[in-house]
Amino acid sequence: MRYVKWTFIGSFWLLVASFLHYTLPQHDVVRITDTYLERIDFGENSIFWANAPTGDAVNPQNRDVFFIQTFRTNERPMIYRNEDTGWGWPPYFKFNTSNLQAQAADLESRSTSGQQAQWVVIRHYGWRNEFLSIYPNAIKIWRVDSPDVTIIPWINIIILTLLTAFFWAIWVRWRRFREARIDPVLEDIGDSLEAATDHVVDRRGKVRRWWDGVRGKTPAR
Amino acid sequence: MVVALARLIVVGFVVLTVIYLSLSFYSRSVRRSKLRRKWEEDIRRGDREEYVRRGLKIYDRSLRRKLLWGVYIVPVVTIAVVIYLVNFN
Repeated sequence: MRYVKWTFIGSFWLLVASFLHYTLPQHDVVRITDTYLERIDFGENSIFWANAPTGDAVNPQNRDVFFIQTFRTNERPMIYRNEDTGWGWPPYFKFNTSNLQAQAADLESRSTSGQQAQWVVIRHYGWRNEFLSIYPNAIKIWRVDSPDVTIIPWINIIILTLLTAFFWAIWVRWRRFREARIDPVLEDIGDSLEAATDHVVDRRGKVRRWWDGVRGKTPAR
Repeated sequence: MVVALARLIVVGFVVLTVIYLSLSFYSRSVRRSKLRRKWEEDIRRGDREEYVRRGLKIYDRSLRRKLLWGVYIVPVVTIAVVIYLVNFN
């Protein structure tokens, strides 16, 4: 029972963490080597593509998608897609895909060009996964002078603080409500059960112990 | 564009209305129990329910009550700011 409980709690938090990791913005320092357009037929991985076309037909089976090819500071390739999120999820409200593609094309910097590398920061969300053929979605691009810039993730700090405060406020009120309204009732039921059956195993009520079991407490002896 | 925007507006309106209603009921009940406690502890004169009723009437006109409209205003302003920062900045 304990393993079931911890597996459940663990997978819950894993889900929450991966959801946030996918949705919240992240920053990469890269140099852009090329930009291209590719026809994508959405299949099993369609959930990882933007699904809120802005002005296009709704729910098409395939679509041309902009991509940005880059190399990171460790000289490993990283490919970004460049898609409108529109009014849908995640709520980046990005409509300027074509403008972003123009900026990306303008900042190209290849190792064979013989010039000093032009490093840029790409703000993006999402994951790159070769097995699923999914790509992070680029949100914003700006140039930086050197590859070792420090970026303080203000957006994430603010969003995570607000989220924690929000759920903490609800949790505290729920706990207070439970202590004031639900626990006494359960105790009452437990007491009358005891009185009715005259079968007192423990000084605490049966329902009370069941409730503690649900909450993972062991009864005090 | 229009369909997606309409969906966002409808879903957003429903969700925010649920939040607004629960918050306003919750806030009113917190105020009511505070008024009751104040009557029990300090006043103890006249009708308690009358005192609570008058207190809630003042609460309904208060700034605190009106701040609850922020449930609608804050998300709309946030979305407008995000749209500006992402697309036009």
